[in-house]
Amino acid sequence: MRPATAFRLGATVAALLCALLAVHPPDAHAVSYTKITGSGSTWSSNALDQWRRNISANLGMTVNFTANGSSQGREQFKNGVVDFAVSEIPYGLTEQGVTDAPPTRGYAYMPIVAGGTAFMYNLKIGGKAVTNLRLSGDSIAKMFTGRITMWNAPEIKADNPGLTLPARRIVPVVRSDGSGTTAQFTTWMAKEQPATWNAYCAQVGRGSNCGMTSYYPVLTGSSMIAKSGSLGVSGFVRQPQAEGSITYVEYSYAIKTGFPVAKMLNSSGYYVEPTASSVAVALTGAQIDQDKSSSNYLTQILDNVYENSDRRTYPMSSYSYMILPTSIGGDKNPMTEAKGLSLGTFGRYFLCDGQQQAEELGYSPLPKNLVQAGFDQLEKVPGAPTSSININDCRNPTFSGGVNTLIKNAPYPKSCDKKGTTQCSDGTAGAKTPTQVNQSANGGSTSGGSGSGGGSGSGGSSGTTGGSGSAGGTDANGDGKPGTGTSAGGTGGASVDPDTGQVLGDGASSGTTNVAANPMNVGYGSQLGMRGALMALSAVLLLGVVVGPPLVARTMAARARRRGGAA
Amino acid sequence: MPTLKRRPLPAAGEADDVPRRLFADPGVPDRVFRAVARGGGGLVLAVMLLVGGFLLLRAWEALRRAGWSFLTTAAWDPDSGHFGIAAVLLGTVLIALVAVCVAVPLATGAALYISEYASPRLRQTLISVVDLMAAVPSVVYGLWGFFWLEGHVLPTARFIATYFGWIPLFKVDGADPHDPLAPETVYTSSTFIAGLVVGMMVAPIICSIMREVFSQAPAGEREGAYALGATKWGMIRSVVLPFGKGGMIGGTMLGLGRALGETIAVYMVISPVFAVQPHILQSGTSSVSSLIALRYGEAGEFSMSALMAAGFALFLMTLVVNFAASSIVARSRSGATSDA
Repeated sequence: MRPATAFRLGATVAALLCALLAVHPPDAHAVSYTKITGSGSTWSSNALDQWRRNISANLGMTVNFTANGSSQGREQFKNGVVDFAVSEIPYGLTEQGVTDAPPTRGYAYMPIVAGGTAFMYNLKIGGKAVTNLRLSGDSIAKMFTGRITMWNAPEIKADNPGLTLPARRIVPVVRSDGSGTTAQFTTWMAKEQPATWNAYCAQVGRGSNCGMTSYYPVLTGSSMIAKSGSLGVSGFVRQPQAEGSITYVEYSYAIKTGFPVAKMLNSSGYYVEPTASSVAVALTGAQIDQDKSSSNYLTQILDNVYENSDRRTYPMSSYSYMILPTSIGGDKNPMTEAKGLSLGTFGRYFLCDGQQQAEELGYSPLPKNLVQAGFDQLEKVPGAPTSSININDCRNPTFSGGVNTLIKNAPYPKSCDKKGTTQCSDGTAGAKTPTQVNQSANGGSTSGGSGSGGGSGSGGSSGTTGGSGSAGGTDANGDGKPGTGTSAGGTGGASVDPDTGQVLGDGASSGTTNVAANPMNVGYGSQLGMRGALMALSAVLLLGVVVGPPLVARTMAARARRRGGAA
Repeated sequence: MPTLKRRPLPAAGEADDVPRRLFADPGVPDRVFRAVARGGGGLVLAVMLLVGGFLLLRAWEALRRAGWSFLTTAAWDPDSGHFGIAAVLLGTVLIALVAVCVAVPLATGAALYISEYASPRLRQTLISVVDLMAAVPSVVYGLWGFFWLEGHVLPTARFIATYFGWIPLFKVDGADPHDPLAPETVYTSSTFIAGLVVGMMVAPIICSIMREVFSQAPAGEREGAYALGATKWGMIRSVVLPFGKGGMIGGTMLGLGRALGETIAVYMVISPVFAVQPHILQSGTSSVSSLIALRYGEAGEFSMSALMAAGFALFLMTLVVNFAASSIVARSRSGATSDA
């Protein structure tokens, strides 16, 4: 017994050793990278998270990044808590009479990615999610300042001739923490919609001329909701109970959550979605600080972006910046040469190869001049690699052969996206399902809409025996969701099948009247009626059939054994 | 073992017959131990005083500028000099009260079941499950509250608001039960939901203290109650609950103290407003700790001082609550041995 056990033990150990040796250890990296830590913007964190996953997989470098908002990122960089920060706005801006003092240690700005601040919303018409909403700057400003409170307001109707908007309250969802997204949004409001914004500021008690702020003022008693972080606001809007809500968030969050964003009206009268190309086109108007000696080198002034006359422009486009440390030593400075090497390598990666992924993540890649300037800024980081790099080798989609291909190939908006009486039905961002638009507003570019009204009539009237007389708004089948969809009811009972409620005649005749109805919850607990109880009962019965017999058998056997034992 | 040493008797007559002074020599190990224990106790006290002192020192600038209006102002706008803790303090207290209202019945029931009814094997499992609940990080509770609970508790909130809205506490402005298109969001991000989440977090703490106290109810009295013909519930009502009253109150107060200071879970659930908002079902509330978490990223020196002042107020409040708890516990019969 003994020798056998020993032998077995030995064999196991040998096998384990063999297994360990067989698994080839990962190649030792030529350079081992020190861990670096950063914090800041949630606006660009989707891109940054992807990049640091990639660099950790490729080079084994650990980059920690906490997306806690631009304000905290800048503050933590200033206090020496983190090695780098990411922020939409630079130091030195004045909010509410307080100037955000720059850090005492050396720093420089480097653009990391471009993107559009999108307006993600959760709105349904006739029980179907709207995916093609369009908004003018004026409407947006009024929605977020409580001037428009209902979705069927005339301003929004004018933007959306193809939609029959419901009489539902607008719930603006804003950021509660110090946020660069808020700063970008309020900068735009202060520049483009000063009357609305200043009146709102006065209303909330921040003075008559409050300008840009990182903390969105919430109007007490309004339906406005404040949530922390981009994930907080987008997570709130996506919930089913948040129907009627709208928020400002980077385009990538709408893609990630599968929700649509509003097409925004630009200065040439087109409604545009913040895609990579429309952001890139818009940012050709950005004034970048070109003074290399200035501490604000490379920061952006976006006035001309808002007013860019190219009709592919998405007006709310901007760059996001990384704040790089440029000095070692001194007070509140955790920087070392080793960290500089890591940061420089990381920066070189995302300025070059990382930009390829920008578009699919919901951002827009940087143009060539900013990538070049970014490399120059990276060299200021002590310890960063200084070897020359050929930026034409970057597989950045914006530059190939000296031309910005992203801008060159950017599609022009469809004619139905022009301000006027037509509206495109295509979906946006994460929700690509088209939304049916009213007949009158159906532009020539979409083909699906015309004449299809007959088919959609079945939703409201199915379940009634006659079917012919049911109008859109009545609860026909008692499921608490009356009249969803357009109804063909009332246009001549003879053409409706009495059993199915389907329209039998040619759809064109009955489809011309497009009656819109809104779904509503009638009464509470409608989802747990007789049906729910029967379902629960059948589940219990099924469980009983499966589990019951063996249990009964076992109990009986046990009892018999006990009785046998006692006897 | 201290040894009694005999001192030389004064060589005097029997006239001055004073009692001998007893002197106990504790010995070196005992003396060292006593010093360490004293030092530890003193250190805890010193750290607490230092924390309070530091907060007061940093808060002084803001407190001096705001004066008494610091307690009565609802807005939070330190840079314009218009700030106070009326709204945040009320929000903090309301969230904590909702939490305690939810947690205490839950914890009492759980503690009674574990200590009185559960079989020994089940008891061990339940104890470890409750302890595990206390060990879950608060950010997890926050995520759960925000992404799951909020949607599922809305019908309840709507029900209460619809039928009990005539009580001012349950009123919801902007809710119209007769309008099917009225937004559901008026019931989200409320004091009620934040309180529920915090209640789930403090319930295990309250439960474990109560369980400890209940299990100490003297066996003799239990048997006496049975001998007099009491049922199990009768025994619990006449012996266990009266015995454990101090522990129950103490545990509740301790839970309240924790609920007052809860940060991240509240921060994730609520939609902060800076106005006195006593309607617990309505969206928008605030708490001191979530205010600090939200705003400490702000740059200004003065607003930091204002946040410290808010923190100091919270510090004082939790201190009072905890002292009240410990004095109640110490006075009760069971509290003499419990550690609450």
